[in-house]
Amino acid sequence: MQVSGMPLLKVPFKKQTKVVFEDDESGPNTRALTRARKEQERHLQANNKEFNEKFEYVNNAIRTSKYNFFTFLPLNLFEQFQRVANAYFLFLLVLQLIPQVSSLSWYTTVVPLVLVLSMTGVKDAIDDMYRHESDKQLNNQPVLVLVNGMIKEEKWMNIKVGDIIKLQNNDSVTADVLLLSSSEPCSLTYIETAELDGETNLKVRQALTVTSNLGDNLEKLNTFKGEVRCEPPNNKLDEFKGILIYENEKYPLDNEKMLLRGCTIRNTDWCYGLVIYAGHDTKLMQNSGKTIFKRTNIDHLMNVLVFWIFLFLAGMCCILAIGHGIWDNQKGYYFQIYLPQKEKFSAPGVSTFLIFWSYLIILNTVVPISLYVSVEIIRLGNSFYINWDRKMFYIPYNTPAQAHTTTLNEELGQIQYVFSDKTGTLTQNIMVFIKCSINGRSYGDVYDMTGQKMEITEETEKVDFSYNKLADPKFSFYDKSLAEAVKKGDIMVHLFFLSLSLCHTVMSEEKEEGELVYQAQSPDEEALVTAARNFGFVFHSRTSETITVIEMGVTKVYKLLAILDFNNVRKRMSVIVQTPKGKVILFCKGADTIIWELLHSTCRFLQDVTMEHLDEFAGDGLRTLAVAFRELDEETFQRWSRKHYEASISLEDREEKLGLVYEEIEKDMMLLGATAIEDKLQDGVPETITILSKANINLWVLTGDKQETAVNIAYACNMLSDDMDDVFIINAKDSSMVLQELRSARNKMKPGSLLETDPVTAFLTRAKRKNFIMPEEVATGSFGLVINGHSLAHALEKNMEVELLRIACMCKSVICCRVTPLQKAQVVELVKKYKQVVTLAIGDGANDVSMIKAAHIGVGLSGQEGMQAVLASDFSFAQFRFLQRLLLVHGRWSYLRMCKFLRYFFYKNFAFTLVHFWYGFFSGFSAQTIYDEWFIAFYNLVYTSLPVLAMTLFDQDVNDLWSLRFPELYEPGQYNLYFNKKEFVKCIIYGIYSSLVLFFVPYGSTYNSVQSSGKDISDYQSFALIVQTSLLVVATVQVGLETAYWTTVNQFFIWGSLILYFSLMFLLYSDGLCLLFPHTFRFLGTARNSLIQPQVWLTILLTVVLCVLPVAVYRFLQMELLPTKVDKVLRKIHECMKYPLPPPPRVRLRRTSSRRSAYAFAHQYGFGALITSGKNMKSRAKFGFGDNFSSYK
Amino acid sequence: MKSRKSRGLPSKMPDNTAFKQQQLPAWRPHLTPRTVLSGFFTTGAFFLGMGILLILSAKSIKEIEITYTDICSNCSKLRENASNFYKECNCSIHFIIPEKMPGNVYMYYKLHNFYQNYHQYIMSRNNRQLLGEDITNVENCAPFQRTSNGIPIVPCGAIANSMFNDTILLSYYPNSSTRINVPLLSSDITWWTDKHVKFQNPKSSNLSSAFAGTAKPPYWRKPIYQLDQENPENNGFLNSDFIVWMRAAALPTFKKLYRRIHRIQQFADGLPAGNYSFDIAYNFPVTVFKGEKGIVLSTVTWSGGKNFFLGIAYTVTGAMTWLAAFSMMAVHLKLKKKQESLQH
Repeated sequence: MQVSGMPLLKVPFKKQTKVVFEDDESGPNTRALTRARKEQERHLQANNKEFNEKFEYVNNAIRTSKYNFFTFLPLNLFEQFQRVANAYFLFLLVLQLIPQVSSLSWYTTVVPLVLVLSMTGVKDAIDDMYRHESDKQLNNQPVLVLVNGMIKEEKWMNIKVGDIIKLQNNDSVTADVLLLSSSEPCSLTYIETAELDGETNLKVRQALTVTSNLGDNLEKLNTFKGEVRCEPPNNKLDEFKGILIYENEKYPLDNEKMLLRGCTIRNTDWCYGLVIYAGHDTKLMQNSGKTIFKRTNIDHLMNVLVFWIFLFLAGMCCILAIGHGIWDNQKGYYFQIYLPQKEKFSAPGVSTFLIFWSYLIILNTVVPISLYVSVEIIRLGNSFYINWDRKMFYIPYNTPAQAHTTTLNEELGQIQYVFSDKTGTLTQNIMVFIKCSINGRSYGDVYDMTGQKMEITEETEKVDFSYNKLADPKFSFYDKSLAEAVKKGDIMVHLFFLSLSLCHTVMSEEKEEGELVYQAQSPDEEALVTAARNFGFVFHSRTSETITVIEMGVTKVYKLLAILDFNNVRKRMSVIVQTPKGKVILFCKGADTIIWELLHSTCRFLQDVTMEHLDEFAGDGLRTLAVAFRELDEETFQRWSRKHYEASISLEDREEKLGLVYEEIEKDMMLLGATAIEDKLQDGVPETITILSKANINLWVLTGDKQETAVNIAYACNMLSDDMDDVFIINAKDSSMVLQELRSARNKMKPGSLLETDPVTAFLTRAKRKNFIMPEEVATGSFGLVINGHSLAHALEKNMEVELLRIACMCKSVICCRVTPLQKAQVVELVKKYKQVVTLAIGDGANDVSMIKAAHIGVGLSGQEGMQAVLASDFSFAQFRFLQRLLLVHGRWSYLRMCKFLRYFFYKNFAFTLVHFWYGFFSGFSAQTIYDEWFIAFYNLVYTSLPVLAMTLFDQDVNDLWSLRFPELYEPGQYNLYFNKKEFVKCIIYGIYSSLVLFFVPYGSTYNSVQSSGKDISDYQSFALIVQTSLLVVATVQVGLETAYWTTVNQFFIWGSLILYFSLMFLLYSDGLCLLFPHTFRFLGTARNSLIQPQVWLTILLTVVLCVLPVAVYRFLQMELLPTKVDKVLRKIHECMKYPLPPPPRVRLRRTSSRRSAYAFAHQYGFGALITSGKNMKSRAKFGFGDNFSSYK
Repeated sequence: MKSRKSRGLPSKMPDNTAFKQQQLPAWRPHLTPRTVLSGFFTTGAFFLGMGILLILSAKSIKEIEITYTDICSNCSKLRENASNFYKECNCSIHFIIPEKMPGNVYMYYKLHNFYQNYHQYIMSRNNRQLLGEDITNVENCAPFQRTSNGIPIVPCGAIANSMFNDTILLSYYPNSSTRINVPLLSSDITWWTDKHVKFQNPKSSNLSSAFAGTAKPPYWRKPIYQLDQENPENNGFLNSDFIVWMRAAALPTFKKLYRRIHRIQQFADGLPAGNYSFDIAYNFPVTVFKGEKGIVLSTVTWSGGKNFFLGIAYTVTGAMTWLAAFSMMAVHLKLKKKQESLQH
């Protein structure tokens, strides 16, 4: 796979944005866009710099980085202060600078703010450095440019609009260029567009004749002064409109003449192109721009909670301000002799107003700034784990799993719906010829001595193809009898393979002597041709009129008389060839049901035997094709050929007419046999699907493939099975029929649900048209739903989508076939709209991009089909089976950790902050803090951050193996049980309780008390010390209780932060520091004098126990009285843990024999027309044939 | 990278470290009902024991508290009027110590309703000035920074200005005719760090010259260098009463150490039971802000002063822990039985 062209998109961690260009506010991208808005039409002239420069088109340099050395600080700070949390703290800082309001020193806010800003800044800077590097790498790639009649090497970034560049085979296209000429006949150029749209098959581009005459004549090219007028840059990959004005003639230009940036040149030695769009104007870059911000459920919840907290905060401040007003009236007024407050009493409301703000400053910590930073760090850490996981590394591709978005991790633990592509995702998109039936005999199974069928494993001996030098070494076949039959010269077997080697539209390329490379439109065809090749019927090359086959070492040239191409109605294709001996033979392959109709009546017996074999193949989940032939006499053919010619030149209904002509000759055929191709599933797909379904995850398959194939695969991977009560197939053509089919399906699934009395139906009729949540419904059995693209289009309309959703959600499996990329996204949106669930879309091709972007989480498989899906995805890896690990292990842990973190964090800050509130009642509501200001500055970021961070980076309630063994453990995440509004309220109540304990226990114990030496202990500083130490110990113990997995790091951080607290405290209260800055460090000696008192420690111990005990009792009783499902599983696991883990049960693949899948063709029209027109043939065909066969032209 | 290649591993294969594979060796504490319950019982036992111990030790403390705002109501009245600032007012209170107060006896003054923790009040001081380095530095001392003539106030600020300035003498009457002044010590009533580090007099041979050019706080009768006329060492910022006062209290009701009983002669073992009197020079107005003041005589133990809170709290917590433990055990056993009966 060619990836080197796109290194810029492999930037490791992009903050909140999946695609780098997205938030490029000031970069050239935006400038380009703003200019594009003005640009009505693009006008350029080849080889005319002065002319083109007038328009100031951007050059080919791209910049995805945001900052440079000088702009980093201002820009980054500006961005950071756009975040609410940071802005809030800036606001607080400003408040603190107002002396009338200031209740805390400036550093309590500045220290955390600076820490937070610098941490984010460093991360942004690192991200940007990566971008700089990849930009540099990309911009400095070499490309050949025509300068003054000479070919010169230039860097990519120096290419300008209007330049003529030379591209060579396997080059990545530098910019969007207009193809001028190429080495191939008719200036054809083959390109691979994998990076653009994900399709790996070759595409052809052809230059205008007028430009193709330029050839590689540098002089001509240099004097080429063609003018291009075309549309301004846009993001439509398959559209281009423009005209070329050359020598006063106008030529229309379309997409077929364009080579787009990101494509790769294939099978073409060289080509010349005129740069039309460069850099950020290219379609590739224009396409990369639109990315939706993805935010997790928890983000949304957090926003709501933070809003609540703000209200709560405002409420507290109000209470305290009013309290202050009252206090002032009753006590403060008289206390004036010791504290005159002249200005305050001039207007009684003023002091109340000021106190409100003062308390806002003090109590700001309920909305902790470090929350956001910590959440980011946790997500980042958990993303790294995904990148590092060896069990998600795929050795054959050398591809590790990658988290492209680092902000969605915990949602991986909440997935309820998975939407999957089929081809390349569930299947490998590799077709393997594994069985066949020839002349009534079945080949492909291996039997042991006793005649028992053996299972084919890695060790099974393969058929030795060494006798055939042209054999493909990757092909393996196990049944030796077939090779023997070939060697023996069995005429039917020979004919069978001959037909396979002739009847196809594959193109071949001989790279070196004996090394053939087939370029097929569909992998099925390639598999068949390769099989024939290995058995000694090597398709060697073709011209427009001949096919060269090396039959058992002998080169034979067949004249190609006609290709009767495939289409969806015919479901077959045929070729008519003339053998070297002069016989005219028609070879046909197609769906068995179709071929059956066209066979000669003498084949009846063979037909029956073959049918049995076909049933057997189908039962194994193989894709089958029947192969037949017919000998034609010269006369019949000539007659037919004339008709064919007439039909092919007719202007109206050519398709239909051709079809009829084809039918005339495709009859009375003799059956040769049948092929069986395995659409190989990826490893572990059925097991993964079973586990996902046990984890209560619904899997929907959305594929562009045909119904038969999709259903076949669904059976193969256990999504559908014969045990199901019914599998509904919705395949109606019009809207009312679709509705009818859907309704009858619903009636069957849940009898009575069509009635008005059904609660859900009633709910739906009552519900408003928009924004309601679909209730859960349970069907009476297990059902499957297969819906076709046409029907889906109707079903997705506004009036029917709810109906569709109801049925689909009741089904165990849903398969949508022949869906367009847009429909894929629509289905995802539908579920997102009416179900409050987290969705995941997984796919590998460009057609999956839309759904990957639409789903909450997009997963790209970095497999065969290019990079597009991976680039659009949030997570990527190489195999579908890694999904179970991503969700059940990483997702589950991330969710668990995030929830633990949030619960703890809110608790910790409420307990911390509310103590101030209580103290207000005892300090005249004067906004006096209860802690040392340094403690306030350090509490969140230094003292309590590391233990909780360690917990959230390492915690695991059970290890990965158990998580996979008990998929039930995944369920709490789906229903968001570990952190929701209820849990939040619990945390808050617990926080309030703790703050009460934290205030009143020290209050009680120091009230009227003294040190054991009779000296002060109830002074403010000692009191602050006792309260803050208790708080810190309580907070740390609480982390300890939450930690289920004590690694050394946890131990180190937990004990370490306690030690750090005490040592920092001694430092901050030390003589040296306090004497140096007596105003900033006021607590001189407090630690030394208080901490030697036993009653201080007894107070701390009492606070801790009183804080922890109720939780312990609550949890114990909950576990005993109301254990959740997960608790029970966990208990079971703890019991099992004493014994080693038994190996996971193997998922047995159940096959059924009732189905048939008969497709082995390309999805679109074949190359047939291109082949017979001879356009794509090189003139240097080795095996020339006479001109005498001109009947077909 | 080299070693990886030599081992034939793919180049992008993640490292096989315990950290990266999330397989760090770890201790997984698994709480069984047994461990939880035994933890509860142990905690309960410890708390009950400690609670009883604390109650007993608090009980052993002898304490006498006399609030004299009302007893000396004349003086209280007098002080309500600021114009009587320089008028002296004395007040004598007779009381009986019913039981001997053994060991060290401490004398405290106690204030009610006095908001030393009020934000503007507690911040109104200048620690740098109190270090004696730059005594004219009156920053942060609003509203008591300078006199109306602009002379810096030393010590500045609201705390210093409002210093408690009653003098209290304790007399013992072994019999009706004899009166012995109980010897009181003003030394060692502050934290060592306060007296030796946090508060420093300006370096000068003569204190009064050191404080020249400064004004006394408006509510003070004497300048800072004349606070203790008996002991010249106990003057300036190093005056013990001053230091004690400057350590602001956390709560609006507080007591501060005033004197220690000097354990000599009759008082070597503490204060004997009998008749006593306080002779108070009543200077500190409290009724204006609806406050009260009192004197406390108290012994101490290892756990501090006479405060039953900790003892009671420990006992109650211990008892509750046990109660919880018993009920949890009951629940656990009942459920276990139910499960077992289900299994059979």
